[in-house]
Parts: sequence; C-alpha cells; structure tokens
Amino acid sequence: MTTTEILIEIAFRFATLSLVAIGGINAILPEIHRVVVDVEGWMSSAEFAELFALAQLSPGPNAMIVALVGWKVTGVAGALVATLAACGPSSVACYFAWAWADRLRQSKLRAIVQRALAPIAIGLILASGYTLALGADRSPGAVALTIVATAALAFTRINPFWILLAAGAAGVAGLA
Amino acid sequence: MSTPVPVAAPSTLAAISRRTLFASFLKMGLLGFGGVLPWARRVIVDERRWLDDREFAELIGLCQVLPGPNVVNLAVIIGSRSHGPLGSLIAVTGILFVPAGLMLLIATFYASVAHEPVARNAIAGASAAAAGLILGTAVRLLLQTRPPLRGLLTGAAAFIAVGVLQWPLLWVIVVLIVVGVAAEWRASRAVDADR
Repeated sequence: MTTTEILIEIAFRFATLSLVAIGGINAILPEIHRVVVDVEGWMSSAEFAELFALAQLSPGPNAMIVALVGWKVTGVAGALVATLAACGPSSVACYFAWAWADRLRQSKLRAIVQRALAPIAIGLILASGYTLALGADRSPGAVALTIVATAALAFTRINPFWILLAAGAAGVAGLA
Repeated sequence: MSTPVPVAAPSTLAAISRRTLFASFLKMGLLGFGGVLPWARRVIVDERRWLDDREFAELIGLCQVLPGPNVVNLAVIIGSRSHGPLGSLIAVTGILFVPAGLMLLIATFYASVAHEPVARNAIAGASAAAAGLILGTAVRLLLQTRPPLRGLLTGAAAFIAVGVLQWPLLWVIVVLIVVGVAAEWRASRAVDADR
C-alpha cells in the first residue's frame, strides 16, 4: 500500500464510522482497533493500547486518539486525515441537526430514541474498555491496575489524570 | 412536563467575539486532562455565563444523542450560535486541533524515549489503567441511567457483538438501533394504554 492509498483507506473507514459514533469516539474504538490491528495489521493490540494511554495523558478530548492512530500509521498527514474523517461528518450533521433536534425536545419520538440509544452507547463503551484491556493486560499486575482504575473511576471523584500517573508509577515499579 | 427553554440563548451567544470564542474553547481543551467535560461546564457556565446549568445539561444530552465526540459537538453548536460555520470551526480548532497538535509533540517525545525500559514500563502501567478508565466510565453510566431490562439486553448485545465477537460495528449498530427503538416504542405505547 502506498501512503496515498493508506490515507484514502483511513479517510473512508473513519468517515463511515463518524456518523454512527453515538456516545462519542469511545463507541467506535473497537471498530478502529479491528481495522488497524486485525484487518490492516498497521500496529499490534498492545501498541494500540499504548496510543490510547498517550492520548489520555495529553490534555484534550478523548477523540484525539484518532489523530494519534493516523499519526502512527502515516505521520502528520495521517493524523489530519484521521481527525477530519472521524469528526468532520458528525460535526456537519450536528451543525444542521441540532436546531431540528432542539425543536423536538418535548416530542415523544426524541425521548424514545434517547432512551433506546443510551444503553447501546454504554454497551459500546464497555466493548472499548474490554478491547483496550485485552491489548494492555499482559501480566497479572496489569490486570490488577485495570481493575483498580475501573473502580476508582466508577466510584470516586479522583481526576483520571492522577489515576493514569499513579498507574504509570506502578508500571515503573515493575507492577505492570 | 417542564416548559421549553431555548438552548443557547441567542442574545448571549451572538455577542461572543471570535477571540473570546477561541480562547474559551482552547482553555477547555488545554486544561482537560482526563476528560474535557468538567472544564467545559466550568468555563461555559461558571466563568463566561453563556448558559445556565440546566441549559448546559440539556445541550450535553443533545450532544450525546447526536453522533460524534460530545465536546466537539458542543463546540460546533455554541460556535454556530455565535458566528455560524466560522464560529464552529473556531471553537473546534480551540478544543480539538490545538490540543491534538500538542499531543503529537508528546507522542513524538515518547517515541524518542520508547526504547528505555522506564518509559516502556510507565506506559504499560498507564495503558492498563486507561483501559480501566473506559470500563469505569461504562460502569458509572450504567449506575446513573439504570436502564430497564430491554435496555440491558440491547446494551449487552452491543458489548458481546462488538467487544467479544469483534463483529463489524456498522451493521450491529443499525440492527440494535432498530430493535432498541421498537422496544422503547412498544413500552411507551403500553404505558399510554394503561392511562
């Protein structure tokens, strides 16, 4: 594959996913993982999990992971194409749809759609965490870190940044 | 039933200058370690008073139903209310593109030290925890929303199909949305019939 072909492939794959990313980028992470790791073989599952950690350690929206995936595959051009493809179609849809959706705020249809989408989005986010854990957890210590981080986020108000830093320190101490 | 309030009161948002729009969204992006949403609320509601708490919550609810990253959608909507398409672009640049550029610098630095055992071990620990943060997000959402059985079933189906079986997402989503909306529709009709 030439670089141009790879860029077109990224643009096409990510743009298709953009419009089904209900619940945000986390909903489409397992699919991005499937494409870049299993289908195209551009990186290993562990490398994917590392990129995700880097994106989480950097300030900014979680959506930045798509830029990092593109960057890993083809550099800065890949980052730009991946970001525009993953966020462009949904942003354009949002630009035109929000006024319409806003008018439907009291309608039964919107309430039904909202109630139907919420649990699907949660299932997809769970799938993302599971996919990332499969890539990241290669030792009992790493599994333990995943479990502790899950509990810390679900049941405390600790800023996730500190959870990541603590886990990084635990990794340096040989726990991962 | 509550009375409708206009999301994003036009007068407040139309008065935002382009510079303020960019600076505000840049601030949310650059301070948003481990998630931008808490900072978005702080800047938009507390500091700038563009929206009140209820308007903000409604707008976020809307952003979650629309496809795409929630905070990027938020930037698109608030930006469009102040300066049209250009405003959307300005806000998204501040909250997404500038932080993403910074992240690439961080990633480049990491790549240059990635052969060091210390860096490898640190990132191994952090990536194990990062997976946990996403699992924890799902747990927290589940506890907050407490879906009924039909919702638990579509959610479990989404997890198994996409996470465990690694089926292509597109078809799974299309089928589950149709099933989920049909189930909710039936349930709401049953409620109406009881009245």
